[in-house]
Amino acid sequence: MSKISRRLFTGLAAASVGTLAFPSISLGAVPRVVVIGGGAGGATAARYIAKDSGGAVHVTLVEASKRYYTCFFSNIYLGGFRNYGSIGHNYYGLAVNQGVNVVHEWAVSVDPATRMVKLGSGNYISYDKLVISPGIDLKYDSINGYSAGVQDQMPHAWKSGTQVQLLRNQVMNMKQGGTFVMVPPPNPYRCPPGPYERVSMIAHQFKQSNPTAKIVILDPKPKFSKQGLFEAGWQKHYPGMIEWISSEDHGGLKNVNASTMEFETDLDTFKADAACVVPAQKAGAIAMAAGVNNGDWCPIVPASMQSQADENIYVLGDASVAKSMPKSGFSANSQAKVAANHIRGALTGSKVFDARYSNTCWSLIAPDDDVKVGASYVAGAEAIDVESKFISQADDSSETRAANYQESIDWYNGITADMFS
Amino acid sequence: MKILLFVIFLLTSFCKFAFSDEQQIIAMGDIEYGEYLGAECAACHLQTGVSEGGIPAINGMDAEVFVALMLAYRSKEMENPVMQMIAGRLDDEQIGSLALYFSKLEPPK
Repeated sequence: MSKISRRLFTGLAAASVGTLAFPSISLGAVPRVVVIGGGAGGATAARYIAKDSGGAVHVTLVEASKRYYTCFFSNIYLGGFRNYGSIGHNYYGLAVNQGVNVVHEWAVSVDPATRMVKLGSGNYISYDKLVISPGIDLKYDSINGYSAGVQDQMPHAWKSGTQVQLLRNQVMNMKQGGTFVMVPPPNPYRCPPGPYERVSMIAHQFKQSNPTAKIVILDPKPKFSKQGLFEAGWQKHYPGMIEWISSEDHGGLKNVNASTMEFETDLDTFKADAACVVPAQKAGAIAMAAGVNNGDWCPIVPASMQSQADENIYVLGDASVAKSMPKSGFSANSQAKVAANHIRGALTGSKVFDARYSNTCWSLIAPDDDVKVGASYVAGAEAIDVESKFISQADDSSETRAANYQESIDWYNGITADMFS
Repeated sequence: MKILLFVIFLLTSFCKFAFSDEQQIIAMGDIEYGEYLGAECAACHLQTGVSEGGIPAINGMDAEVFVALMLAYRSKEMENPVMQMIAGRLDDEQIGSLALYFSKLEPPK
């Protein structure tokens, strides 16, 4: 190799592991995986493919945020049990420990025919296999009167980040004896028990700083996840503070007005002093741009998490139709491991094992009163089928509930290390 | 402490045989399979140290202790619905594979 070509080669190699990406550069036989989205699905997939392939696969993670705030445990922050910084994570571990090429940009489009991802900078990255794990986008227009323009008056706080801090501030500053209105989303949505854990955590805060406050839940659904456990917990810890109103009783939310903070239903018009409004949801925009969606969500092959639309694309987490798994960080992390094993097998010939999935969701109702629900799953022909499941019992001892909370803290430490270290 | 006593009980009750159930199960294990299956464990069991709550570190755990614990969860002799669910669907080969894999990892400092 001449001096000039060696210098050129070195420069190009440096470019390929930096933020630049040239489709014309071939790394020879090293296959390329691009992962879009650095949450529980994407970060886990990038980490496992890089870690387990030991350099045999080149992995690029495309994630716009340099610091990622987890949606899970954001309610624990809302309740005052953790500080905001403790739910933030960076991507240094993936870059330094695992050799993942981390690119902090938006992915704006995907061309499945040429296997290219276009970035916000205008650069392109080529892939052999693509993982799309973008989480959710909000359907603001699913509620009359709600929009991105009023999300600061009525935070959804459903994608973590600054919206959650805003909601915490509004809870802390609500007038004494005021009314807080919570509007949970319709099914299907990210984190089924999340709205009800959120109400519990806000009630816990009010109990200390605003004990005559009221919380009204205007639910678009007639029932919800862990309903019996939550309602018993509210009765025990926050008697008289929380009123859950089923869609069957209020007849549907007709309109919200962010200037007057009014919520109009058939039953009544509710006036709020602070509110959290979570609209309906759909797969993140890049999934639509890649054409792997069918309507709002992306159908997958249960045995591999491959898109039903394109065998070179895998869709993980909230964006996928992973029936019967709930949309949760735990589910996304579990799905990522199945996809990572399948992708490595396809690219390097490593052994592909049968898909197996699991999920557990812990929900904190009050200090040391934590309930959990979980299931294990196998890949069926049509769907990801439940193999076995469990749920906390109404007559659990207080020791069990307290142990559940300790367990959830360890899970948080475990899963975030499993994503980012 | 309860867990430890239970494990000691299990181990001592098997030591009169030349090859315990645990050893036979470990002999069925495949470490590569254990690495794949072990990814499920890593969602909760911290891989980079020791956590402060109720979920113990399992890296570097003695393989026979690992098998004894998983058998006890599988038969529901030990409580914890998450672990009963996880162990409940593992066959002997899978438990042996996991025990082999985790026993070879560096224990947390």
